[in-house]
Amino acid sequence: MAALILGISAVTFAVEMDPREKAVLDQLPGANCGACGFAGCAAFAHEITENPEAEMACPAVNEAALNAMSEILGRDLGGGAAFVAFIRCKGTPDQTETRYNYVGPKDCRAAQLVAGGSKACQFGCLGLGTCVDVCPFGAMYMGEDSLPHVIESKCTGCGKCIQACPRGIVQLIPSSGNFCVGCISSDISKDMKQLCKVGCIKCGICADVCPFDAISVAKDKAAQIDQAKCQTCGLCVSVCPTSVIGFVHTPVKVHVIDEKCKGCGICASVCPVDAISGIIKQPYTVNQSRCIGCGMCIDMCPADAIERNIS
Amino acid sequence: MKDLFVSSSPHIHSPEDTPWIMRQVIYALIPGALIGVYFFGIPAVTVIAVAVVSCVVVEALWQKLTGKDITIADGSAVLTGLLLAMNLPSGSPWWLVCLGSLIAIIVGKQVYGGLGNNPFNPALVARVFLLISFPVQMTTWPQPRSFFSQAADTVTGATPLGALKTAIFEHGTVTAAPHLNLMDPFLGNIGGSLGEISALALILGGIYLIVRKVISWHIPVCYIGSVAVMTGIFWFINPNMYADPAFHLISGGLMLGAFFMATDMVTTPITNKGKIVFAIGCGVITVIIRLWGGYPEGVSFAILIMNALVPLINKATKPGKFGAV
Amino acid sequence: MKTFKGGIHPPEEKDLVKNNPIVDLPLSSVFYVLVQQHLGAPAKPIVKPGDEVKKGQPLSEPLGFVSAPVHAPTSGKVTAIAKRVHPVTGLLAPCIVIEADGKDEWVEGLPLNRDPFTMKKEELMGAIQSAGIVGMGGATFPTHVKLSPPKEKTIDTFIVNGAECEPYLSSDHRLMLEQPERVLNGMRIAMGILGLNKGILAIEANKPDVIKIMEEKAPPEIMVEPLKVKYPQGAEKQLINAITGREVPSGGLPMDVGAVVQNAGTCAAIWDACAHGIPLIERITSVTGRGIKHPKNIRVRVGTPIQEVIDFCGGLTEAAKIIYGGPMMGIAQFSDQISIMKGTSGVLVLTEKDTNISWYSGCISCGRCVEACPMCLIPSTLSKLGEKSMWEMALGNDLLDCVECGSCTYVCPANRPIVHFVKHLKALQRAANAKKKGA
Repeated sequence: MAALILGISAVTFAVEMDPREKAVLDQLPGANCGACGFAGCAAFAHEITENPEAEMACPAVNEAALNAMSEILGRDLGGGAAFVAFIRCKGTPDQTETRYNYVGPKDCRAAQLVAGGSKACQFGCLGLGTCVDVCPFGAMYMGEDSLPHVIESKCTGCGKCIQACPRGIVQLIPSSGNFCVGCISSDISKDMKQLCKVGCIKCGICADVCPFDAISVAKDKAAQIDQAKCQTCGLCVSVCPTSVIGFVHTPVKVHVIDEKCKGCGICASVCPVDAISGIIKQPYTVNQSRCIGCGMCIDMCPADAIERNIS
Repeated sequence: MKDLFVSSSPHIHSPEDTPWIMRQVIYALIPGALIGVYFFGIPAVTVIAVAVVSCVVVEALWQKLTGKDITIADGSAVLTGLLLAMNLPSGSPWWLVCLGSLIAIIVGKQVYGGLGNNPFNPALVARVFLLISFPVQMTTWPQPRSFFSQAADTVTGATPLGALKTAIFEHGTVTAAPHLNLMDPFLGNIGGSLGEISALALILGGIYLIVRKVISWHIPVCYIGSVAVMTGIFWFINPNMYADPAFHLISGGLMLGAFFMATDMVTTPITNKGKIVFAIGCGVITVIIRLWGGYPEGVSFAILIMNALVPLINKATKPGKFGAV
Repeated sequence: MKTFKGGIHPPEEKDLVKNNPIVDLPLSSVFYVLVQQHLGAPAKPIVKPGDEVKKGQPLSEPLGFVSAPVHAPTSGKVTAIAKRVHPVTGLLAPCIVIEADGKDEWVEGLPLNRDPFTMKKEELMGAIQSAGIVGMGGATFPTHVKLSPPKEKTIDTFIVNGAECEPYLSSDHRLMLEQPERVLNGMRIAMGILGLNKGILAIEANKPDVIKIMEEKAPPEIMVEPLKVKYPQGAEKQLINAITGREVPSGGLPMDVGAVVQNAGTCAAIWDACAHGIPLIERITSVTGRGIKHPKNIRVRVGTPIQEVIDFCGGLTEAAKIIYGGPMMGIAQFSDQISIMKGTSGVLVLTEKDTNISWYSGCISCGRCVEACPMCLIPSTLSKLGEKSMWEMALGNDLLDCVECGSCTYVCPANRPIVHFVKHLKALQRAANAKKKGA
């Protein structure tokens, strides 16, 4: 009897829903993280279906889902480039000074409220894992080193962690493999060194060597990599004296296809780390221990004779 | 100065923490437990020991398995075990007690997220589960005898409330029930659960808790008071059908329930107003079950039913804030 | 005896220091005067490194009405305007460093000797404002603002808060006992400014010596009102409620119920400013707790480095926590760079045994916090919401009515940092509001 009533009411009171909206909703991640600015995935699915002007605001969809949705709605949804979160602090408790013993809730935002946080560097990670707690995709974890780590394959770039971090040390960078400086300290080098052994010392070597002019650094500002200019050559990583520059994916090194190589030598001349050598008109070779996988040689080779070492 | 501690204010704290509260309740239960041991002998000691140990072990194992911090040091598992033991017949086999502990700790407490999050009193959840699943074992009441008596066989019999119910079913009147000297339940010389038999010992424990300000007077007084008033009214209307209030007050699990089970902080309202509503609700339901229900005793069910209503009571009895306009 | 609803009875611990007469701290050789020592709009330094300053000379000018200047605590030379740790925020803040010349010379014309009771209201207000007087109980709200309520509010009650309900502290106690005239005369000036012909001096009953001396010395228009010993008896809203029975409406100010409350120390400072033109450059502070060798009540210049204060009191023993203010609402310190401020009513050094550094567990719904809350809130709910950072829901649970007195946290058997959760929620709410405004 009750089932009958339920059945009837289900039919009677059913809400008309655009079938496309349902299909779009199925493609969205379903985490209801709110990064799109709407109250959950269903609300955004409704918006993007009903409003022909709406663009893809969900940062968490992958390319396949984006294409599927474009097909469902029959229009280009924009959006695109995927981002991942990057933690811009490498100050583990044994590398960075602590000012006092903090007693209180395990939440960085709350810890920041009492005496400004226990880490001596006022730009450093407080290490209580609020970013990890708020991540709707389980893409972060606290490491043994008391710093948060991002699981890049799970991170969708929704930006929840950025909002949660009281010290603003999380940055979104393109997941295609860009580099990023693991420090945001604005203290001048002398002051910073007293507090932390692994921060950016503003030496500027990275900015000097960057072949693309993508790095800016100042006396009171940690090195900053312009993600639009960065070509992921990785030269900065190899020269940084405090190893504070990190990357999303390990760069894949390259090798020369002997059959195709005409021995022109262009690759050797563009290589920023002098990893390619050879004799004119004979196949060149890549010194694997020096190669940083920047791929500049691939772009320049007229014979398409260089490829990445993908198994 | 690097070793200084920094936290938000306030910087001092009352010494009365959760383990302290649990300890006080355990102390307050000791007289009742001792009376149980005196009248039921070694089996009662066994039931208490098995219940306490199994509760602690189950809690530790569960927290270990689910990767949580092990919190057996807060004393709540010991207390749950002791309360469970006091709610069981003294002749309960060890497996029944262990099953009870398992239900109390896991189904009653841990699945909700541990101490503080359980909506129902864990010991009562276990007791009701056992009562429904094993009615025979759970209603086989060894009769009291002195700890020092040499009699080999344990005699079993009915509780006074059970005898009352039987009398009404078979003869249609309470006067057919065996006559009970009220001094016996007061001191504990009756059949019943291990820890509920002596009203005196339980009242002493309860008064200790009220004096130490572990519990407030609201719940015990309103619970017992509402039972007295309600049974009194019906007794006045028809003394043939209904037993007198004094009998209802000191027999059965009312004292144990009113002082120790209905005052469990986690599962009762937080405001005093709410506590009064809660306690009166418990009293009314207890009396309804005792007078007209199928079971002779209704304290456990009454408290569990009212536990379910606590969120609503809390909402309804929210205090008016200072400066409300 | 009058009191309010809720509250707690923490151990008073005042015996450590309450019988020690006020002593002067020897003049320090260097002073660190923070520019921001008040609540409200910032102030701007008006001296630069190398300047010679005299005692009582203004060092900053307020930017706005709700603001206050700071003054040179002694004569000497400004050596730097450096960034030093601010005791309230724990962050670096601008600080004027003065190297004392040892002469301790007054700026020209000070101290004056005038009769404030013949002065006009505007002159008195000007004297208070330019003396940089702020609430000396610890809240540091500029006093001249409190004494100038808007015209549409009728003020009929003036209460001076001598409750000193915080455990350990005795600075107001000693002040009222040793210098009752300063407090009473300051009170009369404030009453004159507010246009009232009566005032109430509220003192907790644990100071019978003060009550006795005040009853002897008080002029007929000042009534001495003993209060029940209970924390937070000295909280503004609770004090008004205890004395007048009125409740400051939610979100409102004391003046909404016709009341103005000033701290006893503030009244003494008002007297100094109006009668002698002396700005707020020194105060009475209790240096106490079991972590300090010889607890003392000291008269100390604003800007004195904390180390001098500690050394003067015999140094630290097993110090686990150093607190500016009392143990219930004071602020824990971590740095040796800090100095005494206008609002430093106490320097409390607690040992590990006396303080609370253990971890917290889940709420057991015991309701003790509900009983203790003087604002009749449900702190347990706020703490659970705080744990989950759910500030929007907390707003519906009267988050903004919490005065952070700490009563709930003191009694919580699960040791939950309820006040910290409330601060966290309020900070999240402020951040969200700021974001909304910016967008």
